[in-house]
Amino acid sequence: MTRSGRLAGAGAVVRRRLLVAVPVLAATSIGMFALGAASPVDPAKQYAGAAAFTATEENLAQIRANWGVDDPLPVQYLRWIGNLVQGDLGWSTSRHEPVASVLAARAGWTLLLIGVSLALVLAASLLLGALAAYRRGGLFDRALRTAAYAVQSMPVFWLGLAAIAVFALALGWLPAGGLTDVTATSTSWGDVAHHLILPVGVLAVSQAPWFVLFVRDAVAESMRDDHVLAARARGLPGRTVLFGHALRTALLPFLTLVGTHLPELVGGAVLVETVFSLPGLGAVTVAAAMGSDFPLLAAITLVTTAVVLAANLATDLAYAAADPRVRLDG
Amino acid sequence: MTRMRPTFRRLVASTAAAGMLVLAGCSAPTNPDGSSDGTTLVVATSDEPDALNPVLNYGVDGAALIFDGLVSRDGDNRLVPGLAATLPTVSADGRTVTAKLRDGVLFHDGTALTAQDVVFTYQAVLDPKVDSTLRSDLDMVESVTAPDQATVVFRLRHPYAPFLQRLTLGIVPSKLLSGQDVNTAGFNRKPVGTGPYAVESWTPGDRLVLTANERYFAGRPANNRVVVAFVADDNVRAQRMRAGEFDAAELPPKLAAAFDEDTTYRVQRVPTADYRGVMLPAGNPVLADPAVRRALSLAVDRSAMVSGILGGAGEPAFGPIPPTSEFVDPSVVGAPTADATAAAALLDAAGWKPGPGGVRARDGRPARFTLMYPAGDTLRKDLALAVTADAKKIGIEVTPAGLTWDAIDPRMKSDALLMGYGTPYDPDFVSYKLFGSTFAGQGYFNPGSYRSEVVDRALQNGRDQIDPALRKAAYAQFQQQLAADVPWLFLTYLRHTYVLKSSVRGVTPRVEAHEHGVANSIWWNIDTWTRS
Amino acid sequence: MADLAARPALLRTARSRLRLRPGQAGVVTAGLVLVVAVVGSLLAPLVWPLDQSAVALDQTRSAPSWAHLAGTDDLGRDVAHRAVYGLRVSLLVGAVAALVATVLGGVVGGIAGTLGGRVDRILMRVVDTIAAMPHLLLGIFIVAMLRPSLGAVIASVGLTHWLSTARIVRSELLSLRTRPFVDAAINGGAGRRRVLVRHLLPHVLPRLALATTLMIPHAVWHETALSFLGLGLPPHLASLGNMINDGQGSLLTGAWWASLAPGAVIVVVTLAIAVLAARWRDRLDPRVRAELHL
Repeated sequence: MTRSGRLAGAGAVVRRRLLVAVPVLAATSIGMFALGAASPVDPAKQYAGAAAFTATEENLAQIRANWGVDDPLPVQYLRWIGNLVQGDLGWSTSRHEPVASVLAARAGWTLLLIGVSLALVLAASLLLGALAAYRRGGLFDRALRTAAYAVQSMPVFWLGLAAIAVFALALGWLPAGGLTDVTATSTSWGDVAHHLILPVGVLAVSQAPWFVLFVRDAVAESMRDDHVLAARARGLPGRTVLFGHALRTALLPFLTLVGTHLPELVGGAVLVETVFSLPGLGAVTVAAAMGSDFPLLAAITLVTTAVVLAANLATDLAYAAADPRVRLDG
Repeated sequence: MTRMRPTFRRLVASTAAAGMLVLAGCSAPTNPDGSSDGTTLVVATSDEPDALNPVLNYGVDGAALIFDGLVSRDGDNRLVPGLAATLPTVSADGRTVTAKLRDGVLFHDGTALTAQDVVFTYQAVLDPKVDSTLRSDLDMVESVTAPDQATVVFRLRHPYAPFLQRLTLGIVPSKLLSGQDVNTAGFNRKPVGTGPYAVESWTPGDRLVLTANERYFAGRPANNRVVVAFVADDNVRAQRMRAGEFDAAELPPKLAAAFDEDTTYRVQRVPTADYRGVMLPAGNPVLADPAVRRALSLAVDRSAMVSGILGGAGEPAFGPIPPTSEFVDPSVVGAPTADATAAAALLDAAGWKPGPGGVRARDGRPARFTLMYPAGDTLRKDLALAVTADAKKIGIEVTPAGLTWDAIDPRMKSDALLMGYGTPYDPDFVSYKLFGSTFAGQGYFNPGSYRSEVVDRALQNGRDQIDPALRKAAYAQFQQQLAADVPWLFLTYLRHTYVLKSSVRGVTPRVEAHEHGVANSIWWNIDTWTRS
Repeated sequence: MADLAARPALLRTARSRLRLRPGQAGVVTAGLVLVVAVVGSLLAPLVWPLDQSAVALDQTRSAPSWAHLAGTDDLGRDVAHRAVYGLRVSLLVGAVAALVATVLGGVVGGIAGTLGGRVDRILMRVVDTIAAMPHLLLGIFIVAMLRPSLGAVIASVGLTHWLSTARIVRSELLSLRTRPFVDAAINGGAGRRRVLVRHLLPHVLPRLALATTLMIPHAVWHETALSFLGLGLPPHLASLGNMINDGQGSLLTGAWWASLAPGAVIVVVTLAIAVLAARWRDRLDPRVRAELHL
């Protein structure tokens, strides 16, 4: 079977997944609005901030009326859907700007943080996990596992604060937060990269244990597979056996599971963004949740859910492309 | 197995080398110049505005950097002309206020300021369709008109002595906003004003970059650019200040104190009118007894709160008018330390007898109440706990409760609440609504339903009388009555603490209000700051 | 006489049990740590009662000493004393939330696994959907809706961590359904409920217990993360998240001890659970392991 032949069913699978995704996303958005209805928070007071204490009740009621937040939930939801169809994501009451521009300004940074961290984690975990599995129970294996358990026990924001204390304050190597140098006139990539080393590093390290341990186990198992044993018996060099045979076999189940771990990574990113004061989606999400800003919450949930569903689909397709035994029946 | 060892070692070595490469690749692109540009000043604050539009509550007390009001305030908080050529005049009946505009003032886009812009700004605030909470402060305005290009006339519903204090509101260009929905206008993100700085860029959640307005009517700023960094977390802000990123940053007192030893920094503890106190609602059966309220006021150790919680950055508070105000009545000031004996004597005399578990009781009712504080506010939490500990010493059991505002709101009629307010500009501003009986039970105005005819009359006199001496007498009476009734347990006035680099010159702190952020902070006159 | 003869053998096995292999020392230590943690937090109110709202403004931020083993915090409160209560709260949140998650996951997985077919497909689709949402975000929404409190934090953790349990239980049941002994039972005329209770439950329960245990550290981190974001328990209560959050500022002001003790408690206790779990994880199917985010 050729590779393209294996992916023959992919189009149908993508279509079917999309059909499932639409009701899923609709249910998610309804859920968000239902939460909004149940929430006791007054978005007008949240918006007014300290001024809420000097504003009259009529003043606040008028603002609520301007926003239509006192309308019945179905009315609000239908209005939101109607606008959504026309490409309008609505108005964020906590940020006081269109939801679309909140996302446009911030989602990119969050995706960049998650993307680079994920790439780093994947590369590092494949390498380290394979090395540990090569000599199972050896010194390196034991040290790596101990380190993995220890890191796993540390809350990510604690790691972040420790990293700032060491690399930014004590050593002065890296900036303690922000996206660019505060006095920079433009957003240069070199500057951003310099500022992202610590956040990316912390997010990657905090997420690494799960990946490393998984690769280590999977490779260790596949080291006992017949074809790997055969390769070893033929006297192939250790490196070839490890990376050419064992790791390759272990790669497939690993890939499919990366998608399931993605939500965990997003959660970590929220915390890392808070610690390093990055202008991503993390901080606005917390503020939106506390301020009952449901247009923004619904949009953030939809976007992250859509990204995770897409990533799952992508890993499934990659899996199918790589392994002829898998049928794309999803 | 032995044959494999060297291979394994090589593997590890190559891995390590690869790792080094990755690290080296990451750290290569650095920007070494940092903040060496002497004409750019960087300040950091936690409060990011929602919109940079005075109509939508940005910088309403003046010092808005991008905008100017008809009037502004000097280093002593005295009113001085801003966009108005001289201080506006008030008619004999106190209901007509006339302002003449300064000649030749230009907006950042080069268009000239006219009276029409002023009229538009105030009408926008009063327009119910505009989401402005400022409307509550200007409810006495009946109309705003422009008889000619350089004159603005305010007509008031009733005489209002401190009206000129309300004219610090920044003026927006009507041309850019009229006919638009002010709530959603693009102007709110990229505003145009007349102020010392024009907006170069605003990255929400990150920073606001301002450039000097070459044509500023009061003279070009002494520096070229100002960057306002928004760093919500106190600790992160402190760490970045320590890393040398900012010229000035607001920090909580304890974090600021860590910079005291370092000569490259200077810590400014700025006096304020920003007080914290416990609102004691009349609807609570225990707190309804004046003896309990007075005993609590005697029992709290205000000086321990100032030193232990505020790290010395504050003063004991005994009323809502700050010690720096000309309206303060020194006779209401009590002892800064606790007098548990006197407090206990008061309670004994009122029939609150020591009961089981050290909690006093009267007629079978134990002396206990709940003290709410907003959960996100560390300072109010700390003060609430201090009050709890002090009350325990005189046999009153306080249960602190950290809640969100929406949970606090419905309980304010019957449970005590740690509140904070205060403005140095005029005693009418907050107190009229906070202690007036007509506002009893209305949201955050007088939530504890305090009612006193004496206070009502004094507050009304203070607002109606134009003569400063009569106003002063009215507010003295107001303060004395409050001290007798204790509807609030005033605890401390804060000092807002800022850390500045020692090299920054031209810093002149002035008494600050409760609200301060991008506008109206220690950098109110940053256009005169330089770096040595 | 038989007794006497048996005794040396018993002693021998006992002795050999006590002689630990190198890997076992860690496990024993971890077990001891957990026992101390659980017993300590259970007995604390009897032995060392804490007034949660007490402060001592005259002894703020004093360094560790004999009077205050881990120093005092910004309000003069004993850090070690509060750390014990913080652990108590965290373990409570962890245990209750894990229980909620296990029951919820067990029920959903049980229904999907025993009924199969369309019900199974629908339920699993729901599980997939919820799994696609970052659970910290979901947790934030739940707390925001219920308002920060002990119940909200437990709900936030419990309602977001049941998915893996549901999947494990379902796949376990599905694979058991094809086993001969189940067929035999059904052929023997046993009702569905009887098969479920007598035959399937005993197989699934150990897995459930394991899943619950392994969820506790997650729940503890979740609680600390929520507190860090200002969405946790009321801030004057001693919880590990609140303490780390409060102590964060102290790191910069030189009072490093304020966040050291609560941080160390989290790391040590979750590490202990992880070390014990590591013994189990080797016996688990890799997919199950991945589900539990081990």
